Amino acid sequence: MVRRNETMAEYNIDRYQRQITLLGDEGQERLRRARVLVAGVGGLGTIVAADLAAAGMGFLRLADNDRVELSNLNRQLLFRPDDIGREKSLAAMERLRILNPEIQVEGIHQTIDNETIHELVKDIDLIVDAMDNFAARFILNKAAFSRRLPLIHGAVRGFFGQATTLIPEKTGCLQCFFTGNPPREIIPILGATCGVIGSVQATETIKVLTGRGEPLANRLFFWDGRTGEGTVIDTKRNPRCIICGSG
Amino acid sequence: MKITVRAFADYREIIGKEMELIDPEGKTIRELLAELGDRYPKLRSEMFTPAGELKEFINIFINGRNIAFLNDMATPLADGDIVALFPPVAGG
Repeated sequence: MVRRNETMAEYNIDRYQRQITLLGDEGQERLRRARVLVAGVGGLGTIVAADLAAAGMGFLRLADNDRVELSNLNRQLLFRPDDIGREKSLAAMERLRILNPEIQVEGIHQTIDNETIHELVKDIDLIVDAMDNFAARFILNKAAFSRRLPLIHGAVRGFFGQATTLIPEKTGCLQCFFTGNPPREIIPILGATCGVIGSVQATETIKVLTGRGEPLANRLFFWDGRTGEGTVIDTKRNPRCIICGSG
Repeated sequence: MKITVRAFADYREIIGKEMELIDPEGKTIRELLAELGDRYPKLRSEMFTPAGELKEFINIFINGRNIAFLNDMATPLADGDIVALFPPVAGG
């Protein structure tokens, strides 16, 4: 199921005044022209999508196969109690459209698998990994590296979270660093942890698209909310990686 | 030989943020973790099964590389190596 908002208000540059001083007119124009896939519209995806919509990302595609549940509401800030039972991708699309009517948002209620991924990334400049499992993350990773698209990884558990920016030919890929798919469990998650990591992912997206700042390339950011400390680990490509190396 | 161990999340609660091991007894990551397990039994029970196997999906990086793509638990250590230990973080 695909729905999109076709009625775009005119892109009003004054809306972005406070960030244009940071990104420049050219940077803002790059955001306006950018097409981003937010894969997963849960704890991370709702934060990333809201940040990017407000920042004036020209096109956002939101993909998720889930429906809103009561237990999502501690962290998935785009949803309200009356959204329970609705498709997350479509409810989020509607909310973002209200938040910023100047951009185009497309909601796709679909499972991301080896078949559906091709259409989802077809006309996309950058992928945000906001999934809740590594099997789906590896599908995004493979698509990103075969199409040479930047992939902004984020993941959370409890007070902890991690994020890294994967850029084909410049960094390793997700399969250089992580091995398997930990079993899906009821993972404890604090909404505020999603806020930290989702905002890091949104920042990385804006940096990569505008060329400003230094992305978390070849570096893994680890957030420990329990102690309030962030740490960055330098990472290195696996030259024999099955996805981005010699196999 | 000096090895720096940086622990994250659950493991940081047990062994602290960072420690330096001067002339560890072992020469591989397996031996290093065994030595740490002797000092911190709770770390051993967090990272290893009762049979002594490393639990699945635990991330052990040496100088930014996951040991799963090096020589796994037999990966040798060298002077100045930085070992990072962190649990799987997979939610979204």
